[in-house]
Amino acid sequence: MSDEWFALMAVKFASHVPKMASDEGVVAAAKKAIGDALVEARELVGEVTLMVRRETIVDVCRALRDTAGLEYQQLMEIAGVDYPERPERFEVVYHLLSLTKNRRIRVKVSTDEATSVPSLTGLWPVAGWLEREVYDMYGVTFAGNPDLRRILTDYGFEGYPQRKDFPLTGHVELRYSEAEKRVVYEPVSLPQDFRSFDFLMPWEGPEYLLPGDEKAHGEAPGAPSPLPATGAVASKDVKTSAQTAKTTEKPSDTGAGAPADKTAGKQARKPRSKKAESEVGKKPRGKKA
Amino acid sequence: MTDTRTRPKSRTIQVSVGGIGEGEDFRDELGHVRDAGDEQISNYTINFGPQHPAAHGVLRLIMELDGEIVERVDPHIGLLHRGTEKLIEYKTYAQALPYFDRLDYCSPMCMEHSFVLAIEKLMGLEIPLRAQYIRVLMAELTRISNHLLNLGSHIMDVGAMTPNLWLFEMREDTLQFYERASGARMHANYFRAGGVRYDLTEKMLVDLQDWLDNRFQLFEDSIALVADNRIFKQRNVDIAIVHKGDAVAWGFSGPMIRAAGIPWDIRRSQPYEVYDRMDFEIPVGTNSDCYDRFMVRVEEVRQSAKIMRQCLAQMPKGPVGSDDQKVFPPSRNEMKTSMEAMIHHFKLYTEGYHVPAGEVYVATESPKGEFGVYLVADGTNRPYRCKIRPTMMSHLQAMDMMLKGHMLADTTAVLSAIDPVFGEVDR
Repeated sequence: MSDEWFALMAVKFASHVPKMASDEGVVAAAKKAIGDALVEARELVGEVTLMVRRETIVDVCRALRDTAGLEYQQLMEIAGVDYPERPERFEVVYHLLSLTKNRRIRVKVSTDEATSVPSLTGLWPVAGWLEREVYDMYGVTFAGNPDLRRILTDYGFEGYPQRKDFPLTGHVELRYSEAEKRVVYEPVSLPQDFRSFDFLMPWEGPEYLLPGDEKAHGEAPGAPSPLPATGAVASKDVKTSAQTAKTTEKPSDTGAGAPADKTAGKQARKPRSKKAESEVGKKPRGKKA
Repeated sequence: MTDTRTRPKSRTIQVSVGGIGEGEDFRDELGHVRDAGDEQISNYTINFGPQHPAAHGVLRLIMELDGEIVERVDPHIGLLHRGTEKLIEYKTYAQALPYFDRLDYCSPMCMEHSFVLAIEKLMGLEIPLRAQYIRVLMAELTRISNHLLNLGSHIMDVGAMTPNLWLFEMREDTLQFYERASGARMHANYFRAGGVRYDLTEKMLVDLQDWLDNRFQLFEDSIALVADNRIFKQRNVDIAIVHKGDAVAWGFSGPMIRAAGIPWDIRRSQPYEVYDRMDFEIPVGTNSDCYDRFMVRVEEVRQSAKIMRQCLAQMPKGPVGSDDQKVFPPSRNEMKTSMEAMIHHFKLYTEGYHVPAGEVYVATESPKGEFGVYLVADGTNRPYRCKIRPTMMSHLQAMDMMLKGHMLADTTAVLSAIDPVFGEVDR
């Protein structure tokens, strides 16, 4: 999942989703207001996204809030997103709302486990808990937040549950212990391994390597395959089964005839009554005497 | 009231009352010198909840009190955290939908609404007009249902019993309509990407009209009992006043921001579905106190009923689901006769549909305020990230600001006026 998937955006627009004021000119006005703090601006499915440099987030948000014509007065949401394959794996996503202009905007910064993001608590007091939640879920720290405690997880919780490498089942489970008369924590024990089915169609979704797939593409020289490896010259006189076309052109190719009739007679089903008789007195299967 | 905290902490005072001898120090069990003549009061901290009938769920408030005056509140949330957002990342879009019913379990369909709209926005999926009317109709029924519960418990939290029982009677009706629409009284799982699961029967629409026409006297009676009641006003008027600027800065939405005098309603400002065809008014408060929040909700119930009437009058006939068979499942009947429908059904309930890569934030006006879903899709059949924006988180966070300087007994009024539901706050 790289940035390329944003290029594959839907082109159709649903008409019954919330309709806001047009975002025309917002990107230009925002560029002017925040200057070189802007890394990238996108406008997709009718939503404006500004990627900005992490250390400038407070100034950017102040500009977006206080510049006439932009006026994003409310901070509605801070979301974290984890992209483990990126060098800066976390994205912190701010959603702002303009009550007077009736528009929304999304501002993003990226960070990693060690680098903290400047806190917005100075601009909006509501940022306090929203940042606490991102910290709780992803371990992203916010410099300047006066009360950066965990918020949703249990007292004494360890780890950051929304990270992609945190298992869905977690690490501990708790139960009431009758013996100790209190709630005890224990490592998770699953009676059955956690199973995750993706249900994707193998010929549309990801590339699976099923047994035998390697033959379709040929193999490196020296591979134990009857197929000629790419680049290597196959010796012409060796006839392998893979090179023999499997066709049925004459009656002898069909496998039908006297020998087949003979074996077929042997394999023919016994009448049910005979079968029942022969099974009487047999030892139960699977048990040795 | 004098501030006792500024006094020097340890003083030895010669006292001669209460049987303590002349010149004798009296020390309490903690070793503090006790001043029998002029009791030294220090702030103390109490624990409100997590199991408290007035906490509307599992809320734990650490309250620092000076006598009966609240000095500081530290709400501890997360006691109902179930990792909904994490679970959704492991489910297909259709499987993720029932989790939304379990967020704000007092207004389940409004929770589903944001999610299906987010999916539809990313897919660019149009839905039939009848489905839009049904969604709006059910969303407004949900709003009434939610407000009936909240108004009733608000009244009860400040001491009156009767209206709550009457309002529950009405709420029971709304739950029965839920059951007739979706088969479930609460966790409806009724909205689908592309429409709604079942069509509403003609009989149900007639009964809804009948209910709107005849049942609301009970609601008006209940409110009339308290709206001008002296005790009710004493408990609510001028409690937890929030000024406009604060309401904006603290991220308020819904009845909380309207009570502060800001006429902001997403149904009006950013209309979705058929709300732009509806004629309704947006009540705003003048004083921004608990009483205003209560009365804003009362008026919203009436306006919701008005919207429902219009929906019933205007609702066209037609399909209730998108004709895109790769998203919306075929009818049971079709499945028995068409092989293709059978295959579509199978694929939709195993693999599910694919949502094109991208990100979207869709917010709707839930009964409690702005309920948003930030959906990041990666082009597969499962969401890459689904961040839920709860309405209550910002309101609860402002508890400390709202309660400061009020009496301990006002806590319940303030809480009820916020209308918290912890399924949604804690996710």
